Amino acid sequence: MSSKPVLSVKNVAVAYKIRGGEIEAVQDVSFDIPRGGSQGIVGESGCGKSTISWAIVNFLGSNGYVKRGSIKFQGQEMVGKEGEELRRLRGDQIAMVFQDPMQALNPSMTLGSQMKEVLTVHRNMSGKEAEVRCIEMLERVYMPDAANVMKRYPHQISGGQQQRVVIATALLTNPALLIMDEPTTALDVTVEATVLDLIAELRREFDTAIMYISHNLGVVARVCDHVGVMYAGEMVERGTVEEIYKNPTHPYTQGLIRCVPKLGADKASSVLYPIRGRVPPPNNRPVGCIFGPRCDYRQVKCEEERPALRQFPNGQSVRCHFAEEVDWRAWKPTADVLPPQIATKTGQTPILQVDGLQKYYTAQGGSIRDIMGLNKPRYVKALEHASFSVPKGSTLGIVGESGCGKSTLIKTIIGLEGSTAGDAQFLGVDITTHLSERDESTIRELQMVFQNPDSTMNPSYTVGQQIGRPMARFKTVPKNQIRAEVVKLLKAVRLGENYIDRLPSQLSGGEKQRVGIARALASSPDLVLCDEPVSALDVSVQAAVLNLLLELQAENETTMLFIAHDLSVVRFFSDYVAVMYLGQVMELGPAEAIYAPPYHPYTEALLSAVPIPDPSAQQKRIRLEGNVPSAISPPSGCRFHTRCPRKQLLSDNGQICETTAPPWQNVASEHHILCHIPKEKLIEFEPVIREA
Amino acid sequence: MARFLIRSFISTVVTMLLVSMLLFFLIDIGGGDVTVKILGIQATPEQRESLRKQLGLDQSTVTRYATWLIGNDWWVPVEYPIISVTNIKTGENEYWADVNGQATRWMMEDGELFALQRQPDGSTVKEPAEVWQNDSKGEIFWGLNNANSAVKWVRGSGEVVFIKTAAGIREEKDGPSQYIPLSKGMLRGDLGRSMRTRRPVAVTLWPRVRNTAILAFVAFVLIMPLALFLGIVAGINEGKPIDRFISVTSLAATATPEFVSGVFLILVLGIWLELVPPVAVFLTDDAIFQNPEMLILPLLTLTLVEVGYVARMTRASMVEVMGAPYIRTAIIKGMPFHRVVIRHAIRNALMAPITVIMLHVNYLVGGLVVVEAIFGYPGLGNYIYDAAIFGDFSAVLAAAMITVIIAIITRLLGDLAYTFLNPRIRYS
Amino acid sequence: MTVTQPILGSTLPKRPSAIQRAWESFAIVFDSTVGTVGVAMVAFWISVALISLVWTPYPANATDFIQNESPTLTHPLGTDHLGRDSLSRLMVGTQVILVKTRLPDELFGYTLPFGDWPMPVGVAIWGVLGSLTLGSLLGLMAGYQGGWHDTIIMQILDALIAFPRIVLYLVVISAMGQGDLVVILAITITGAPGVARLVRSLAMDIKTRDYIRAAETRGESVWYIMFWEILPNARGPLLVDGMLRVGYAIFAIGTLGFLGIGLPPPDPDWGNMVNEARPFIFVTPWPVIWPSIAIASLVIGLNLFADGYREELTRYQK
Repeated sequence: MSSKPVLSVKNVAVAYKIRGGEIEAVQDVSFDIPRGGSQGIVGESGCGKSTISWAIVNFLGSNGYVKRGSIKFQGQEMVGKEGEELRRLRGDQIAMVFQDPMQALNPSMTLGSQMKEVLTVHRNMSGKEAEVRCIEMLERVYMPDAANVMKRYPHQISGGQQQRVVIATALLTNPALLIMDEPTTALDVTVEATVLDLIAELRREFDTAIMYISHNLGVVARVCDHVGVMYAGEMVERGTVEEIYKNPTHPYTQGLIRCVPKLGADKASSVLYPIRGRVPPPNNRPVGCIFGPRCDYRQVKCEEERPALRQFPNGQSVRCHFAEEVDWRAWKPTADVLPPQIATKTGQTPILQVDGLQKYYTAQGGSIRDIMGLNKPRYVKALEHASFSVPKGSTLGIVGESGCGKSTLIKTIIGLEGSTAGDAQFLGVDITTHLSERDESTIRELQMVFQNPDSTMNPSYTVGQQIGRPMARFKTVPKNQIRAEVVKLLKAVRLGENYIDRLPSQLSGGEKQRVGIARALASSPDLVLCDEPVSALDVSVQAAVLNLLLELQAENETTMLFIAHDLSVVRFFSDYVAVMYLGQVMELGPAEAIYAPPYHPYTEALLSAVPIPDPSAQQKRIRLEGNVPSAISPPSGCRFHTRCPRKQLLSDNGQICETTAPPWQNVASEHHILCHIPKEKLIEFEPVIREA
Repeated sequence: MARFLIRSFISTVVTMLLVSMLLFFLIDIGGGDVTVKILGIQATPEQRESLRKQLGLDQSTVTRYATWLIGNDWWVPVEYPIISVTNIKTGENEYWADVNGQATRWMMEDGELFALQRQPDGSTVKEPAEVWQNDSKGEIFWGLNNANSAVKWVRGSGEVVFIKTAAGIREEKDGPSQYIPLSKGMLRGDLGRSMRTRRPVAVTLWPRVRNTAILAFVAFVLIMPLALFLGIVAGINEGKPIDRFISVTSLAATATPEFVSGVFLILVLGIWLELVPPVAVFLTDDAIFQNPEMLILPLLTLTLVEVGYVARMTRASMVEVMGAPYIRTAIIKGMPFHRVVIRHAIRNALMAPITVIMLHVNYLVGGLVVVEAIFGYPGLGNYIYDAAIFGDFSAVLAAAMITVIIAIITRLLGDLAYTFLNPRIRYS
Repeated sequence: MTVTQPILGSTLPKRPSAIQRAWESFAIVFDSTVGTVGVAMVAFWISVALISLVWTPYPANATDFIQNESPTLTHPLGTDHLGRDSLSRLMVGTQVILVKTRLPDELFGYTLPFGDWPMPVGVAIWGVLGSLTLGSLLGLMAGYQGGWHDTIIMQILDALIAFPRIVLYLVVISAMGQGDLVVILAITITGAPGVARLVRSLAMDIKTRDYIRAAETRGESVWYIMFWEILPNARGPLLVDGMLRVGYAIFAIGTLGFLGIGLPPPDPDWGNMVNEARPFIFVTPWPVIWPSIAIASLVIGLNLFADGYREELTRYQK
């Protein structure tokens, strides 16, 4: 690598002034990125990773400033740089790509004018030249129909395409440094995979230094050569990707790797170890080692003295007093993080039986004929032919990308929506109707755990009031015993009694999610529907909540439906898995069967798209082309045929897929695949992931 | 886009209907007794009752609403088709019956009917008429009288009616037993007749509307650029002294009632500094064309109140947009600040206030009522105020309907502007 | 996160009282300079109103002084064209808008039992409470229930909004005559559409939250969800809006008084004071200036108060 780094960050601290003082969002961060190098920055929310990128482009807002240290870009000091000089660097030499492309693009300007202005402003190009160059760049990022896209507005193209436009814009001036802040987090997993491929490819071809920020270790492993791990405003460990994943040295890095389920791991054979405690708030950090209070190797020195980032001979840097002594392989879980052993006992009596369930929404047309009601009404076919049954005490995981109908399925089962056809029975009671037509006992038996911790609780009521409400509503507990019962439930979700009078604003995300679980359990339901219950949580908290759910399920023999977009989490948590695409279940079976051949071609593509936090693992590369078709007029025959990478396995390239609906093939006991490809051929698929 | 536009169009029509009903029935419930105002408090109950009948107030509210909306000249029980003719002298509209091509009205004298036949020069020729028709209760005739009403005469009944004239109240025998004042209806462009003057509302209303339109238009042209400019300047300097200054000043200006700022302006500009005439007497409806400087004080008063409101709206929207991720993108792309503001921010920032601004036009109209009252300006607002105080039902109704139509049409324009500014709606 | 309290239901921490919590959420306004100034202005006028209930320098309607006098020691704000003391009239002018409402002797044919006793709290405040109540109800129904509820309610409100406000006042007052209750009604009717629009947009936002889903999956009634789950979370913006509306209401009462159709005599009315003194503006401007300043400062104070509170509220939510 070349001698002079493109970006050199040294001992940077960033502070924000707030009323009555200031907080240091970032304390002491250092790293270099050489030409063509790519540095990943990994950490949980609030660790200050985005703040660094804002500090580099000196865009910290009116109340933020770099308190200490220096940021050198191509030898120039960036701290304190402003005005014309700074403006000329931004967008020309330094470009950024943000998390949500829909938000990052101006909704009222055409994509073309947003791209062209970079060239007309920085390179004084004429509009015509710029246009040509932009189209070239769009084609370079594999944008179909590039010339036409230039004339469109952001809302007219899909999320993945929007992000391609943003990336193309960033690369127009061939910048020396490209900062990417969670560029794929808002995208679906298969789209994410294609964008990550693109970034990896561009990285090789352009000579650009890349700073890549993400919370996801797997994503960083795919696109970076170096990684820095951040915790509570400090960089705690830095090194090459291989070193960090193979030999994590800082206890926090180790914890991070231990608390995410590996793709293919299940709850019977593996255990998730959460990191105890929570990230300290910036205004109340411990005196000694910041990670000290949560560390298994803590000693007296850690509480007194803040460790420095020390470099080791192999190039790895670690901020730990005892880095030499901490052995990653010799770690033993301590009692407080060790989840209790769970004996999975799934009964055979089905508690929920769904047969051909269907949900259509009426679509609003835009033409005059539609409004006058002259056209035939059109439907959004959100859910079709959903059939499965769930045995008591087991978990059915449902995976699929956004728009696949998994949320509709859950809403229909719980009764927030009435179904339009099909049959669904819960303990023999019909539940195809809307909630308002169900009797109270059925309502009580079906409860739900929600995704977003910030909106799962009503901000106006205390924890106790919210957990107590279902008991009062269903009269399951006498009024004077509600408080005692609430305390009992709080204990069950590992929260102290003193939480009872707290308001949601005083709780952390993980705590809110626990309260949400307690509220769902308050009416002692038989079936709990979990809608992405951990996807909004940081990974270290995620593990604790997953463990809690497992434990409660084992205790109460609760049956669960578990929706998630993270395939490793679903695999870990579920006994059975259903894979959905465009409103239909494509594959259904025991969890272990889904994750190994024979697969449905869509399942195979999903698995190959998952970013794996192991740079040495071999993963087959299967990418889906095009966009998910509209649910108003889904493709005929097999709904997946427009994007299926496997249909050439059939004679005449899968003509049958376009005309005839595929059959359910029973490939093994309880394992069904909705596909025309004969099961003999499906079984011959190679496994997607082969661990090194 | 079609859906959006059709929706707002349908909504506009429905809103107008609802408003007219609401207005009509509200005024009808408690319009007070207009007859007292017209005849004076010394009038006897019989005189008032007679006037009520002449005004058609004895009809049901629903009938009168239908008349007001769609007119009644095509369904009143008059024997002959009704035509409308322009009076040569006054230019006002009159109703006549078409008796075999001859425009005719009738009158009763000493128990006998006479036909008044209209001549081309506008005069009439009086001839006895034999038009009585047999009815179960005797001989009756449905015809038209001199006051543009369809009336029912009953032979030999000798109804006593009281007619209000400039000189006083005249008692007449030989009156009709029933009156139905004729109208073409709002939908056919007839604003009705004032109860006070019995002349078409339109004749007196239009000059007032024109005067108000001039005032409002000049105010609008002054206010909008100024307010948008101030709002944008404040918005892009959020939290800085200039923003504080603009925000607090505009708040103070908006929060001060028109009559307070108006009176203060008279005091300061008119009496102390003597820059403008402190009292303006508008003797005729056309006075503003002779002395345009009389517009200054009303305009300033309106501007003070309205600029603040629009500026605050624009500021809020601008602040929001300037914090949006796409503005951050533009800055990080290295766009010069003026370009960020002009090309990236303003268009988005105007989207939210434009509908609010258009909604605000009816506040402007409301403000006009007060401003016109303060300065005695001969406009629509003053007209409504006078009519409401007098209890002139049909005049209030017509004038209020015009304000509502103005408000609703501007709102529709606001929707259109919004559609134009927002590509998400334009291309959907 | 582990728990070590074995005893249930004992030694529970005291929860802060509702009043304490309400005060705490209110006190954030003092973090804003603008807001504090506003609170001070409003507090000033409320104290004036309360003092005037027990003491004024002279009776408000006594006409036995020199007419159109400029401020002197005996009449600190001067006298008006009928020789009434301006200070006393200004003070009493606060009462009907802020601290008392005069009830008629009879209402809908029933004789009211209160005699000459006025109802506490002024016309402006009752009017705003009325529009908040009506507007919240309609806004919640439109926003939460959506569908045809929304279409119909919004259509009617659109019609009400289309009226220039002052025209609506004129119509209501000419329909029902002058009186404190009529003014309250007029303020309620003119204010409700705005409140309803606000609550509707808040409800449409709040109803997407998961805790509303949770309530729905518990099978809670529509009314429970509207009033117990949604409404409490709209209280911040509603409080701000309410304060602004009290300002508008005082604005409107002043304007109506100025037009001669506001609150009925005998109590002095600021708007009417300006109107009556206007012809004498060449003789002495003082009787016009005082009530003008009074009304402007009270309305501006309420606006500053609301502005400061809103600013702090959004800051705390961030």
